[in-house]
Amino acid sequence: MAELGRAALIVTLGLTAYALVAGAAAAHIGRRRLALSAQNALVAAFGSTLVASAVLLAALLRNDFSLVYVAQTTSEALPTAYTISAFWGGQEGSLLLWLLVLTGFGAAAVRLNRGWARDLVVWVVPIFAAVALFFSFLVVVVASPFATQSAPVDGAGMTPSLQNPYMLAHPPLLYLGYVGLTVPFAFALGALISGRMDERWLVATRRWTLLAWTALGIGQLLGAHWAYEEVGWGGYYAWDPVENAALMPWLVATAFLHSVMIQEKRGMLRVWNVLLVILGFSLSLFGTFLTRSGVVNSIHSFTQSSIGPWFLAFIALVVAVSLAVVFWRLPQLRSPTKLESPVSREAAFLYNNLLLLALCLAILWGVVYPMLSEAVRGEAVVLGRSYYDFFLRIFGLPLLLLMGIGPLVAWRRASLRSLGTTFRWPTAFALATGAALLALGAGSSVPGLIAYTFAAFVAATIVLEFARGTRARKALGAASWPGAFSSLISRNRRRYGGYVVHAAIVLLAIGVAGSSAFDSVAEARLTQGQTMSIADYRLTYESLEERTAPNATELRAKLQVARGDRDLGTLEAGKNAYTVEQQVSNEVGIRSDPLTGEDLFVIAEQIDPDGTIYLRVFVKPLVNLIWIAGLVFLLGALIALWPDAREQRRLVERTRDIGVPATR
Amino acid sequence: MTLALVLAALLAVACVVAVALPFLREPEPESDSLDELDEAERRRLEQLEARDRALAALKELEFDHRTGTVSDDDYGALVGPLRREAAATLQALEADRPSVTGAPAEEGRPTRERIS
Amino acid sequence: MARKANPARLVIALLVAAVLAVFLLYTSIAGGGNPSLAPSEVAGRSGQLQLAGLVVGPVTGDAHAGGLSFRLRDISGPSKARVPISYTGSVPDLFKVGRHIVLSGRLRNGTFVAEPGSMITKCPSKYVPKKSGEPT
Repeated sequence: MAELGRAALIVTLGLTAYALVAGAAAAHIGRRRLALSAQNALVAAFGSTLVASAVLLAALLRNDFSLVYVAQTTSEALPTAYTISAFWGGQEGSLLLWLLVLTGFGAAAVRLNRGWARDLVVWVVPIFAAVALFFSFLVVVVASPFATQSAPVDGAGMTPSLQNPYMLAHPPLLYLGYVGLTVPFAFALGALISGRMDERWLVATRRWTLLAWTALGIGQLLGAHWAYEEVGWGGYYAWDPVENAALMPWLVATAFLHSVMIQEKRGMLRVWNVLLVILGFSLSLFGTFLTRSGVVNSIHSFTQSSIGPWFLAFIALVVAVSLAVVFWRLPQLRSPTKLESPVSREAAFLYNNLLLLALCLAILWGVVYPMLSEAVRGEAVVLGRSYYDFFLRIFGLPLLLLMGIGPLVAWRRASLRSLGTTFRWPTAFALATGAALLALGAGSSVPGLIAYTFAAFVAATIVLEFARGTRARKALGAASWPGAFSSLISRNRRRYGGYVVHAAIVLLAIGVAGSSAFDSVAEARLTQGQTMSIADYRLTYESLEERTAPNATELRAKLQVARGDRDLGTLEAGKNAYTVEQQVSNEVGIRSDPLTGEDLFVIAEQIDPDGTIYLRVFVKPLVNLIWIAGLVFLLGALIALWPDAREQRRLVERTRDIGVPATR
Repeated sequence: MTLALVLAALLAVACVVAVALPFLREPEPESDSLDELDEAERRRLEQLEARDRALAALKELEFDHRTGTVSDDDYGALVGPLRREAAATLQALEADRPSVTGAPAEEGRPTRERIS
Repeated sequence: MARKANPARLVIALLVAAVLAVFLLYTSIAGGGNPSLAPSEVAGRSGQLQLAGLVVGPVTGDAHAGGLSFRLRDISGPSKARVPISYTGSVPDLFKVGRHIVLSGRLRNGTFVAEPGSMITKCPSKYVPKKSGEPT
């Protein structure tokens, strides 16, 4: 069946090439049937990629080791769920997944918008096709998932740390995010090339950007949770280039989600928004390149992969062509509206954009610095964690504060006096909270205390906004308080959904501050019966247990946990020895306190043959707020994404007014 | 192995048909030119967007005032220019083409072909 | 109506300048990062370094007692340089002979003494490198 897979991908390659050429020609000379034919080619490309994906999935489930990819990423003993996740576990399969999502989104975006943005869509097709052509080229010529061999008895198996439920969801979500950013890019570039620079490209891509941004956000949180529980070194984010690869486009997308509101309300920042979209897409390509080319620590790993140079060339092409198009259309992009006052909501969003972009660029600099310094000085210089932490604080803390200020400032112009009145209560609350925390000992970390204080400020402003909005709706005639509350949200979905997302970021900030600025760590070597203590916990090493699982031998140290005079139960920490993969993985023991949200985090660093264990234990306050923040984030994003019938009607009426028949 | 080749051939044929479909369905079309907005329509679209933007800004100002985000003084200063702006956009729309509701065919403009 | 100088442009320019100033301040105070070298390049170097290479056995000692001892060689290339390493702290799961690892530390009397807990192993499937210990 590998031949079918290979053939299907070649068909995709042909279709995307046709869609690019025919689509560009049709848009340029204005031929309707040709344009439609190009559109169909893009949709058909999704179909053929789907066939290829089905072939790979079937081969994985059948344990068909005659496919090199299947043999490299799975084994007979691997549980089915992880066998499925092997689809995106390796280089070739993950590229195929990228292509599948890309063609799927392309087909959907084109079909959903062809009714009311037809003249825009004709240019979106060739641009989308160009990106799809690149990835089809990669999977057909450079890294094919369908390379065959004489089948070995068993496969190499999957790295134990990838055998984790989070690995089922984390990469696909990130891909939804990365690929999702292609849609706004294609529409923006399509708008520029066609000269149709009205707001339709924004409306067409607003929800795609929100969707991609949500997927990237949740994907990153899942990745952090995976790192925390599975990799088990005591943290959740290491500023690793692979982690930064997803953070950078997410920051740019966040900036775009804010500045797009300025363009919608005031018609300003058109050039800025287009540049943001191009940057976001380029960073998502760059992120994909980072994650798979192995340019992690030194340039040596760069040359190990053949994919790297292709990606870099493509990114360079995308950036060059996009900037050229922007430059060409620059005169038409300039907007007549100017920023009226440095104290206004537009200005607040602008400061937000600048801070987000500054943080993103600082991270980008940290990621490429080793490569640049090696190229320039012959020696790769690596920037450590302290570099990233510094810039996260310098840019992140003001951003946190701004989150509370922005929503409460009026558009266009706000007088300082009115600001004073609005912010009186939140400021008082924040200062009181800060003082209380200082008394409780939070002064041990100044950035942590500042983060807590700012978070309190923002939380107060969010509560205020919801309260005042509900009161206003009740005054306008809502039946009851709950009714006023729900009608408030349903009539201003994006705004209040945004506030819920802000609340999630507040929770995230508190969780991160607590677990990184106020945590404690202790190490001890214990024999059976011995006790160690950390913070106000006591851990007693009771016994060592060995269990057999389908594909591993599990060694666990049982520990009795107590706090004060209360027995908190047992905790297990140890190691798994995987038979096929010949690897050992750390299995940490975590006890989460439901009241305080803090974690007791136990790593069994070493288990000696005589039963002596070496433990490394953390107490991480408030860390579970981070995962709760993820849920709140999802809720807020869903509220913002929820289709608004009223807004939809308005769009339809507008297009009908001009005379274009409108579809969804 | 042969099954794979047969399926591959079927797939290729299906894709070729999909691509050729527009030409097969309409071998002799009345008009093959792309449905595009002409200058007048594009201008009208921009005017409509400007109108919607101005009205939305007014609505948001009212709401912000009601919730207390915007003080009475600020409201007084901002509402006048906004109202004038909204009125200007409405005037521009009226001047260009008196309000028409419903079918564009009334004005003798060519009906748009629906691309399905 | 006369065009007023736009205050916003000035504010933005000042902000961008502030950001750049922060950046320059940091790099001048905290210095750059640490050089990342291969074992063959490390001889005679002083100061904090990052070393990347393949683990060469035999691996002796205890990372949580006297220190884990092994040697490191170049990932690729003809060099026969073998740098002796002394490592304390957390050892990542993937650590074994032949694995590609990265360490931070300094050279002392010919032995590379690693910072406790600074070992990172590169995951063979080109995904996230395995970390260990708490990067301080």
